[in-house]
Amino acid sequence: MMPVVKNMPSGPVSIFRSEAMTLAQLYLQADAAYNCVSELGELGAVHFRDLNPDVNAFQRKFVSEVRRCEEVERQIRFLMKEMQKSGVGTDICTEPPLAPLPQELLEMESQFLKYESDLKLINGNCESLAKHELELQELNVVLSMAQKFFNDPQSVAMAEAVEEVDDIFDEGTSLINLRSEEKVKHLSFVCGTIRNNNRFAFEKLLWRVCLANAFIKISDHDYYVKDPKTGECIWKSAFIIFFQGDRLRARVEKICNGMNATVYPCPDNADKRQSMIQDLVTRIDDIQQVLQQSRDHQYNLLYEVARIIEKSLIKIKKMKAIFHTLNLFNVDVTQKCLIAECWCPVFQLVEIRNALQRGSDKSQSSVPSILHQIRTEDTPPTFHRTNKFTVAFQNIVDAYGVADYQEVNPALFTVITFPFLFAVMFGDCGHGLLMFLFALWLILREKTFSKESNGEIFDTIFGGRYVVLLMGAFAVYTGLIYNDVMSKSLNIFGTGWKFPSDLYPESVVSSTKQISMDPQKTFTGNPYPFGVDPIWQLALNKLTFLNSFKMKLSVILGICHMLFGVVLSLYNHIYFRNYVNIIMIFIPEVIFLLSIFGYLVIIIFYKWLSVTAFSETKPSLLITLINMVLSIGTVKKDQLLYKGQAGVQVFLVVMAVICVPWMLLGKPLYLYYRHKHGYTRRGRYSLLKSSGTINADDDDCLLNEQPDETPSFEFGEIFINNAIHTIEYVLGCISNTASYLRLWALSLAHAELSEVLWNMEIGKLIKLKGIAGGFALFGGFAFWAASTVAILLVMEGLSAFLHALRLHWVEFQNKFYTGTGYLFQPFTLKVEYWNEEN
Amino acid sequence: MADSEFLFNMDHGYLEGLCRGFRSGILTQGDYLNLVQCETLEDLKLHLQSTDYGTFLQNEPSPLQVATIDDKLREKLVIEFQHLRNHSLAPLSQFMDYITYSYMIDNIILLITGTLHQRAISELLPKCHPLGSFEQMASISIASTPAELYNAVLVDTPLAPFFVECISEQDMDEMNIELIRNTLYKAYLESFYNFCQNIGGATAEVMGQILSFEADRRCFIITINSFGTELSKDDRAKLYPRCGKLYPDGLVKLAKADDYDQVQNVAQYYGEYRNIFDNVGNGPSEKTLEDRFFEHEVKLNVLAFQQQFHFGVFYSWLKLKEQESRNVVWIAECIAQRNRGKIDNYVPIF
Repeated sequence: MMPVVKNMPSGPVSIFRSEAMTLAQLYLQADAAYNCVSELGELGAVHFRDLNPDVNAFQRKFVSEVRRCEEVERQIRFLMKEMQKSGVGTDICTEPPLAPLPQELLEMESQFLKYESDLKLINGNCESLAKHELELQELNVVLSMAQKFFNDPQSVAMAEAVEEVDDIFDEGTSLINLRSEEKVKHLSFVCGTIRNNNRFAFEKLLWRVCLANAFIKISDHDYYVKDPKTGECIWKSAFIIFFQGDRLRARVEKICNGMNATVYPCPDNADKRQSMIQDLVTRIDDIQQVLQQSRDHQYNLLYEVARIIEKSLIKIKKMKAIFHTLNLFNVDVTQKCLIAECWCPVFQLVEIRNALQRGSDKSQSSVPSILHQIRTEDTPPTFHRTNKFTVAFQNIVDAYGVADYQEVNPALFTVITFPFLFAVMFGDCGHGLLMFLFALWLILREKTFSKESNGEIFDTIFGGRYVVLLMGAFAVYTGLIYNDVMSKSLNIFGTGWKFPSDLYPESVVSSTKQISMDPQKTFTGNPYPFGVDPIWQLALNKLTFLNSFKMKLSVILGICHMLFGVVLSLYNHIYFRNYVNIIMIFIPEVIFLLSIFGYLVIIIFYKWLSVTAFSETKPSLLITLINMVLSIGTVKKDQLLYKGQAGVQVFLVVMAVICVPWMLLGKPLYLYYRHKHGYTRRGRYSLLKSSGTINADDDDCLLNEQPDETPSFEFGEIFINNAIHTIEYVLGCISNTASYLRLWALSLAHAELSEVLWNMEIGKLIKLKGIAGGFALFGGFAFWAASTVAILLVMEGLSAFLHALRLHWVEFQNKFYTGTGYLFQPFTLKVEYWNEEN
Repeated sequence: MADSEFLFNMDHGYLEGLCRGFRSGILTQGDYLNLVQCETLEDLKLHLQSTDYGTFLQNEPSPLQVATIDDKLREKLVIEFQHLRNHSLAPLSQFMDYITYSYMIDNIILLITGTLHQRAISELLPKCHPLGSFEQMASISIASTPAELYNAVLVDTPLAPFFVECISEQDMDEMNIELIRNTLYKAYLESFYNFCQNIGGATAEVMGQILSFEADRRCFIITINSFGTELSKDDRAKLYPRCGKLYPDGLVKLAKADDYDQVQNVAQYYGEYRNIFDNVGNGPSEKTLEDRFFEHEVKLNVLAFQQQFHFGVFYSWLKLKEQESRNVVWIAECIAQRNRGKIDNYVPIF
């Protein structure tokens, strides 16, 4: 067998492009298939394709095995639930077991069936014992209540009163003279227990049905019992009902029955009741002993199961996963082997072959399992190998769209550009440091946190801890450039402005509120070596100065970023041999961008270098750029930057204008020309894909590619696509450049907000003197610290993050990124991936 | 109350969203095609796992029983309904309570009939629909006359106003129970109909359609079932709910009907009912009148989802889910009894 793949990578694969993939066919001997798949699963490097997408889930080959696994899983779940109920913890297995051999299924089935039936038997015993105990306990409560009731003359009197009313209705006055003791005895009564939440309804119903001819007394002492079946607590109360006559008895009993009240027999005689209570106590003791014994038995069984249950659960899940995978395969006509199709990274082919070999050896199969590569027109999946550092950045990119196969992966550059652009908006040394330290803490405690989930929000931040770390570090850097530490400045190197006392005598300084400094006299000539001079912190026109600086900086960064994106598209065109796109799209795009916006960047730098406070003309760049297009060929005197500016600008505008029809018409016309002359050579992965079918030819190891159908050529469609792209690009250059101004806007907002917080919450308090001032500052600081974290770090941080995200997704990636691929999802049996899947 | 639509989402928007989400989980034609191909109940379970039902059968030991499936289907539906009910605000909560009243009527009738046949109450209780359970339910057996039933049990339930008309009945035999049921239902339907009309807006429109149909269906069925019984025409006319499209002319004609053909003649005057009666037969491949009514009901309920900002979706969702449960149970029954001939007689929803 010869691998038929070009560009076999020789070393480990970079994150720049997704890994080279190949479609491979596996011929697995029927008896070795399970072991092979299990080995491949442990390796986790192949992405199986479903070969029977039209077949129902229940009509697949290994459905009965899957079902058996599910049955064992159900038993395990049952046992685990029982353990939870009895508070038996499971042993956590540190070393996840390998997928079991298929033979083990039978063993596990019988093992867990036995456990289940044993446990059910014991549970049944326990339940009936507990129920019995419960009844005895309740009887005890009822009897004590009755006893108390009959000993209490007041309640007896109440019962009598009801009775008397009864008597009047029933039999006239003949019974009134009877003695009270006899009367109470003359009444019948029923006692029992009822759930507390039914109490009210019970009383009401009793009252309605018996027409107030029954007297009910419900004990004030409620108690709770555990339902022997479900184990939940139920609050109950004991009651006693007096009434007269059999008809009422029947009704009362029916009501008790209907309201779920339990009725207990209760002797009329006080002595009998007393002896019954004593008898009960011993019976309860006995039954509790028996119950304890069967509970112990139950615990023993559960502890036995607890030792293996976690392991078994992983095993059975692995087994189920393997059978699910086997269900994706085709069965060969001879029934002797299974045919699978999978995508695998070329880099790992050897490992995959070895895994197959191990699988075949394990099942002692005589015929080896075969892997061979096939050529296909289908787009392979995108696979970027990430580590814990890069994965967060890759996720940022994937959230927009998964890269096309082997196109340039922006994640690589995002690692630096993302935190950087964030920091431009978040530029504050102090806030950056806090953020950095927070991320550092997350990273240092990485092992503890990654073990279990700590809530969705925390997990999201934890997942991006390396992003946050870099964001913090870069924010410290930009904070130093802006010279901004929580709205204050650092004077590290000494300001570059002097304050000569002859010019500004003490008397003037203390009497005037503001002093205008003439740069000709007060600037030392040595600029502050790094970042913004701290003297600006005191200046009234600080904002005007910083705004101009930050605005220009945003434009420069933005245009560099976009240009970089356009350059990356060149890498894509070269890699996919799309030479038309280089000439017809890439070159005019670069010229267009540079001739207008590149020129803007150059004149920004030029102005910084050449125009000083002493210059005669201080032309506005904005007006220069507008007039460059609107009034071509003329530059007003006071707007002149350099000699020959008008000529250069005319040339640049003409270049830019030429680029538009070049982009608009070049590619469609060329393709049309090529189509007419029957020129069909295509790039390696053409943009016009036809979904070719794979034709397996068993006689030949080299699989023949189906002859390409010539893609239908639709000039209109190509033209419209191209027109859209052109318009988007040309307009995008303008709007995207404007969009980068958010870098300035957000950093301005951040700086202003932090200044406001300082002034409002601490600035005034810090000037207070004495002990009161100390206390005020103590409180004020807490307030300030809390709002700094909540507003500046969290809210502002999120907003800057969002804008950085947008700048990457829209302004940067639309220059080169297609993002319509699909992810490589290898079949893996590694336990740590399961939680994500489920 | 046209302005209620503007504020609808404030009180009921979340629940409507939930309900529409539940509706998207209703099995489609494709699912049914797969279900009827199942060989065993295990296959059925496997396929249902890939639908919105998910793992609802996963803790049931094999072999599966149709009754278990039925119970679990109902349990899931009830949980969902009660979730919606518990989070609802008035008047939606009242509306949903109204829905449960019909189940309460069914439960009461079931219990009375059961007691009449000397069944133990503990045996009957599990058969009651959980949506219609109420506290005093279990003590129904103490009543031996309708008046007693009212005074002792029903007076505290929301059904009390519906029951007033039935108190005059003397004793409880099969015939009277049936009369009680229909009188109760009539009062209930009319009250529910008025309640919906008072809410106004799209609720009145949608529920008006559905409840009118429900009322008319009862009129037709009562009439057809009364042939050959000792029920007099006057008594029969008293049972007709008067909130449907048949009221008043159609009901007058129905009251005079003596046989099935005359009923069919009445239906001829109403476009939608004519269609229902036209395609009815008793042959194995033909649909019965009951099936045709179910189909029409499904159609109305599906249409309810076409409008927004009204309560009808909650009613319709429940009814559609119930129809779906009937369908699944029917298919399961056919599979279990190995009688595949009639497996296609379910009522498809989408």
